[in-house]
Amino acid sequence: MFDKESGLLQGTLDLLVLKTLSWGPMHGYGIASWIEGATGDVLRVEEGSLYPALYRMARKGWIKGEWGVSENNRKAKYYQLTAEGRRQLREQTSGWERFAAAVTRAVGSTQAPAWAK
Amino acid sequence: MWRPFARRAGGRPFQRAPEAEVDDELAFHLEQREREYRARGLGAEAARAAALARFGDVGGVRRECAQLLEDDRRAAARRDWLGDLRQDLRYGVRSALRTPLFSLLAVLTLALGIGANAAVFGVVKSVLLDALPYADADRLVRVYAQFDASDMERSSISPGAATDLAGRLRSFAGVAAFNFTTFDVAYAAEGGARLLSGTAVTDGFFPTLGVRAALGRTLAGAADAAAAASVVMLSDAAWRREFGGEPGVIGRTLRIDRRSYEVVGVLPPGFVGPMGDADLFFPLDLRPVLRDPAAARDEHWLGVVGRLAPGVRIDAAQRETDRLAAELAREHPGTDRGRRFVVLPLRDAMVGETRTPLLVLMTSAALVLLIACANLAGALLSRTISRRKEFAVRVALGAGRGRLVRQLLTESTVLALAGGAAGVLLAALGLSVLRGLALPALPAYAELALDSGALLFTSLLAMATGLAFGVAPALAVSRANVQGTLRDETRGASEGRRSRRLRGVLVASQIALSLSLLVGAGLLVRSLGAMAGAPLGFDPDGVLTARVQLPQASYPTPERRAVVFRQLHERLAALPGVRGVASVTQIPSPTMSRNALTIEGVALDGDGPTFIPYMAVSDDYFRLMAIRLLQGRTFGAEDAPDAPPAIVISETMARRYWPKGGAVGARVRISPHTAERWGVVVGVVRDVRVDPALPTPEPMAYASNRQDDLWNGRDFLLRTRGDPLALVKPAQRELAALDPAVPLRNPTPLRAIVDERLAGRRLPVLLMTAFGALALLLASVGVYAMFASMAAAREREFGVRVALGSSRRAIAALVLRQGAAWMAVGLAGGAVGVVLVARLLRGLLYGVAPFDPVTLAAAVALLAACAAVALLAPVRRATRVDPITVLR
Repeated sequence: MFDKESGLLQGTLDLLVLKTLSWGPMHGYGIASWIEGATGDVLRVEEGSLYPALYRMARKGWIKGEWGVSENNRKAKYYQLTAEGRRQLREQTSGWERFAAAVTRAVGSTQAPAWAK
Repeated sequence: MWRPFARRAGGRPFQRAPEAEVDDELAFHLEQREREYRARGLGAEAARAAALARFGDVGGVRRECAQLLEDDRRAAARRDWLGDLRQDLRYGVRSALRTPLFSLLAVLTLALGIGANAAVFGVVKSVLLDALPYADADRLVRVYAQFDASDMERSSISPGAATDLAGRLRSFAGVAAFNFTTFDVAYAAEGGARLLSGTAVTDGFFPTLGVRAALGRTLAGAADAAAAASVVMLSDAAWRREFGGEPGVIGRTLRIDRRSYEVVGVLPPGFVGPMGDADLFFPLDLRPVLRDPAAARDEHWLGVVGRLAPGVRIDAAQRETDRLAAELAREHPGTDRGRRFVVLPLRDAMVGETRTPLLVLMTSAALVLLIACANLAGALLSRTISRRKEFAVRVALGAGRGRLVRQLLTESTVLALAGGAAGVLLAALGLSVLRGLALPALPAYAELALDSGALLFTSLLAMATGLAFGVAPALAVSRANVQGTLRDETRGASEGRRSRRLRGVLVASQIALSLSLLVGAGLLVRSLGAMAGAPLGFDPDGVLTARVQLPQASYPTPERRAVVFRQLHERLAALPGVRGVASVTQIPSPTMSRNALTIEGVALDGDGPTFIPYMAVSDDYFRLMAIRLLQGRTFGAEDAPDAPPAIVISETMARRYWPKGGAVGARVRISPHTAERWGVVVGVVRDVRVDPALPTPEPMAYASNRQDDLWNGRDFLLRTRGDPLALVKPAQRELAALDPAVPLRNPTPLRAIVDERLAGRRLPVLLMTAFGALALLLASVGVYAMFASMAAAREREFGVRVALGSSRRAIAALVLRQGAAWMAVGLAGGAVGVVLVARLLRGLLYGVAPFDPVTLAAAVALLAACAAVALLAPVRRATRVDPITVLR
């Protein structure tokens, strides 16, 4: 259920990347930094998973990479959301919310099942 | 903050290897991380080590990402390719519309070439490629007799020989016999007498062909023939036409020629027998005939089909029938000597003489297409040269060569497809014309239709043509030297030597192909002229013919028939508008019956019986047909039934058998009429050609139909004032007054019959002439285009020459010399083509040698004249060059 390398729930990394890019175009390093910052350093993004994930999402047409110049005047590859990426973000967000709510409800349940009596 | 700096331009000129790109990206990441660690206070070394440690397996990630990127690019390239294709197509259509004259010419040229091919292919396919309407038709053969002493290559077979073929050969799994030709029968329909065509077939005819009844059953042969009630099968066409496709027809009794027949079955649609189209199939029982020795072996009226036994090849079957022929000659020396059997694939037998003309037409059509392609290649080449600068600019701006070549190919394919579409329309049109012209000349099973196969063939042809003639200009482009072109074009130099040579080769090949076609067409036209122009020996104009067949059942004796024929003769002669009446057993025709000839005291050439065309005629036949008497007399009242049989012979017969004269008074026998007693030659008349398509008349003999009265039917000939067809109705009334149950069969002007016999010959001539004209036109356009663009390309050079004092005459000579050289090459190539064409056509020629000097000279002169006309305008233009305008 959890990815071996990132320790993240499968698909979660994609969702986080999409969310990051919804703020605007960003390079890989920036994406990793933002996710760590936004999750209060709870989630540490493994670079070894991030880059293949970016390439895979580019192949799926969710994001698009283009070479640009970074704030410190270095050549960097910037990713931005495509229309399809935006749609994915909406869908995956609502999917995640339903999933998280369901897990929360089950984990916080106080009613014991019948066989436990 | 973020500025994109590398947008894709045109292709993907600035794309780097995937590994390099991934490296850059990862390097940036590591650098940023390192910078972060340094900001937190780590030393340079430590920060770098920490960044690498944090990243993990850099090499693995790099490999994985590079692989992903490469896959992504490949997919994108595929998407781009399609996008480019769309762009090319749009561009192709736009550029075609920008030069409407060129495009129209290109499309029309191609349409003509492709249309001609698709139409001819439609015919070829229906005749040569489509399956015969029989099961496993490749195993079916037709057996013909060939008599040493007769000119006919495919003769009918006697019942005795047919029975021996069926019973004594191991090479065949089945052998069946049928009436060699169809015959007419009168069917008493509710609305009056209807004329249907019939044939009779032995047992095993349908099983041998592998044909089952669509309704009811097939004939059971001898069992049916022996049964008390006669039976008959209907063809699908007759069933639909006469009985409205009513299934209840099975079991119904029909009155045919005054006898009753029960319908037992209907044949499947599309079935055609080897004897040709027939409405009715009667059972044929040979047993009674075989009991009569003369009828069994002396009368040859059967066609034979066979199915090869499994594993037997046709040459083995031929060898076995050869052995049988030798055995039969020993067993029946009186009747079966001097005859061999020919075993032919059934398809070849049914295709008949159509194969060679069709192959000739197919070749001609292909040649026309080649010329069309050469023309287009030349035109596209010129256009490419005039667009050289455009291409050079595009290459300089980063367009790949491959991309340009592809665009050119797309452009020519767009033209080819448009030409193909127009060609299909032309083909449909052409086929409907061909249907009218060709049907009498084609085998009965052929259905002319533009079918899916022909369409597929056409579209493939269109595509191939597009690619083929796109290649020449494309090659020229890919060789183009960008810098040189840009520089040259501004200076306006003449066209390169390479493209000039390519263009010259194209024109030369057009001239060569056109010459071959023209010579072929010329030879055929001269043959047809010889055929149509050679005297028939009789005057077919203004004569109406119609057949009267008296049913055996109502007119059992020769005397009864003679009375009716005489009465009809008198009634017809009394009709207003009739200048003369004659009757004859059969009008002269290529398929008329041939009878065995014996001459007293003369040993005839060859082994076995000699057959010659023979007919019994009324007294006025020779006068009515305008057949001149050369010696002795024709028939008259003195040739009464009991008088010695009188025979009139043709000039050729007199010359062949009495070379020293003395034919009149000689004694001859022509079976069966004078089988018992000698006839006497009383006169010699001029030759008549029974087959207008054959050059030399055959020997022929006539008897008086007062003396030879064995025949049930006669053709009546009415020489009329005015239109012969105006007498059809009155003649029908006169016959109906004598016997309303007997129909007047096939009333046709004699001229129409003669013409129809030439139709088969006329078709290839007409089409090949059309192809020749088309080729000439296309080649002229090609020559014109070559010189026009050549002159245009050298305009500046000519201007310089004029400015330097060259005379206009010298300029004209310059242009002409260049053109004449290529035309000479073309004519030389044409000489090779002419040899091939002459060989292909040899079998179709008549009265003209394959290397007919008149035809050759005419073709060369015609071609040269057309080329000269095509040259005129460009040469004039070249000499009118104004040095000042050009050099400015």
